[in-house]
Amino acid sequence: MLYQPDTYKIEQDLSRFGRTGNDTFIPGATEEGLRQYRRLLRNNINNTMVQAFPISRQVLPDEEWNELIDLFFANHDAKTTQIWKLPAEFVTFVKEKDYATLWNKPWLNDLLYFEWIEIEVYTMPDIEAEPFTLQGDIRNGTIVVNPEYRLIPLRYPVHLYAVEEAKNHPGDYFMMVYRHPETREVLFADLSALDTFTFENIAHEQLSLSDIAAGLKLQFALSDQHPLLTNLIAFVQEMMAQKLFLGYAVERKEQF
Amino acid sequence: MGFRRDIADAFLKTNEINPDFVEVAPENWINMGGYWGAQFKEVSHRFPVFLHGLSLSIGSPDELDLAFLRQVKNFIAEHDVRVYSEHLSFAKMDNAHLYDLLPIPFRDDSVKHVVARIKQVQDFLEMPIAIENVSYYTPVAAQMTESEFINQIVSQSGCNLLLDVNNVYVNAFNHHYDPYEFISGMPLDRVAYIHMAGHEQVSPTLIVDTHGEAIIDPVYDLFDYTVAKLNPVPVLLERDFNFPEIRMLHHEMNQLRSIVNKYWIKDVVPA
Repeated sequence: MLYQPDTYKIEQDLSRFGRTGNDTFIPGATEEGLRQYRRLLRNNINNTMVQAFPISRQVLPDEEWNELIDLFFANHDAKTTQIWKLPAEFVTFVKEKDYATLWNKPWLNDLLYFEWIEIEVYTMPDIEAEPFTLQGDIRNGTIVVNPEYRLIPLRYPVHLYAVEEAKNHPGDYFMMVYRHPETREVLFADLSALDTFTFENIAHEQLSLSDIAAGLKLQFALSDQHPLLTNLIAFVQEMMAQKLFLGYAVERKEQF
Repeated sequence: MGFRRDIADAFLKTNEINPDFVEVAPENWINMGGYWGAQFKEVSHRFPVFLHGLSLSIGSPDELDLAFLRQVKNFIAEHDVRVYSEHLSFAKMDNAHLYDLLPIPFRDDSVKHVVARIKQVQDFLEMPIAIENVSYYTPVAAQMTESEFINQIVSQSGCNLLLDVNNVYVNAFNHHYDPYEFISGMPLDRVAYIHMAGHEQVSPTLIVDTHGEAIIDPVYDLFDYTVAKLNPVPVLLERDFNFPEIRMLHHEMNQLRSIVNKYWIKDVVPA
């Protein structure tokens, strides 16, 4: 770094004024010009967040929204070089500062997270799926998962109700957010705990539905696994139609 | 033209915009997948791509972000990018990105610092970069003129100059100098690229470079004066938002072409 301390300080003062609007003195600077920088910088941050969180912006009163933006910009050191990813840092900031408790808005973290995840899934780098075929054995075959997804747990069902109503229904909710492989649209599925368990076992353990049902039968000492298996099959068929599951794994031939 | 999502269909579906090259900010497209990732792949397949960066922060005291620069380098290779330009400004301080272009104090130590960083970037990327003269809305503790500052940076670093003619006009208005004299004082043999754009006058004493308005006649006049002094280089029409009907963009591009064709025998085609 070849800056002299005073040049460094001038840049630092300009930056801090831009982030806070607090009084500063910079030799040679005009008040109108400084105010313009403060306006431009804050507008950039605010516009980015308004675009990323349209529902949160709508449900938060102006004074709370503006306070969040001001606090975030003044106190959070933005890490990403890509401003469109900054909302992810905003979600973390609000959660860490616990504004949900401070402002008695217990749904706030979930709503921000939910809104961000839609953007994340929409823009995430392409991931190639495992080779698959549409014909297969749904009971015993290996099911191929659409790899472009995020499965998020929510405490408040902000995806089902308006926030004031969601506040009255705390629980364990599982939201599947994924990208349609052809249209690239983001799709949502509200999963039950059993659906989530099934999905995780398919996605991460490559278990067949028969294996999953057998494991559950053993774990819960069920007398008959067939009703359970029927439920699992219905879930997979539905989600295959919705492109969360893509098909059945192609058998790999042994190489000699 | 700049490739922007608002007018993407005009590039890719209706072919209403068919420029010699497109410019994008790498920050907007690196690691982008899905619909827009596919759109950008098609753009880079059909048009030569120029990069105009936002986050390098060449004038920042913070260390250069080499991880980011590596992403840029990969992006340049992946999309066969012809030009990478950045702004003569800073956009990061105290390890925090600011997402806008703040003015570097025009000082001797700033020259040394920025020159060293441009060299570091050029060595890393293994290609020359072009540095843009930015618009600025207040002087900050200057010890030399903007023209002296730019000249020293360009001559000492070996970089090219992205001459933004609208920024010259904006700064001349805001800081009370003669834009024609300023252009004449630039290292014109190092101009590799020109930007033209619209702006907005926000008060009787201040113009802001918005890229959201049509180019005004005095800026066309300054462009004419500039082009007459230059060898052929690519010219970009910068428009980032508040898009008019496509025919209005065509009108602006045609005006730029008609000026260019007065002085340059052939249309500018990127190397």
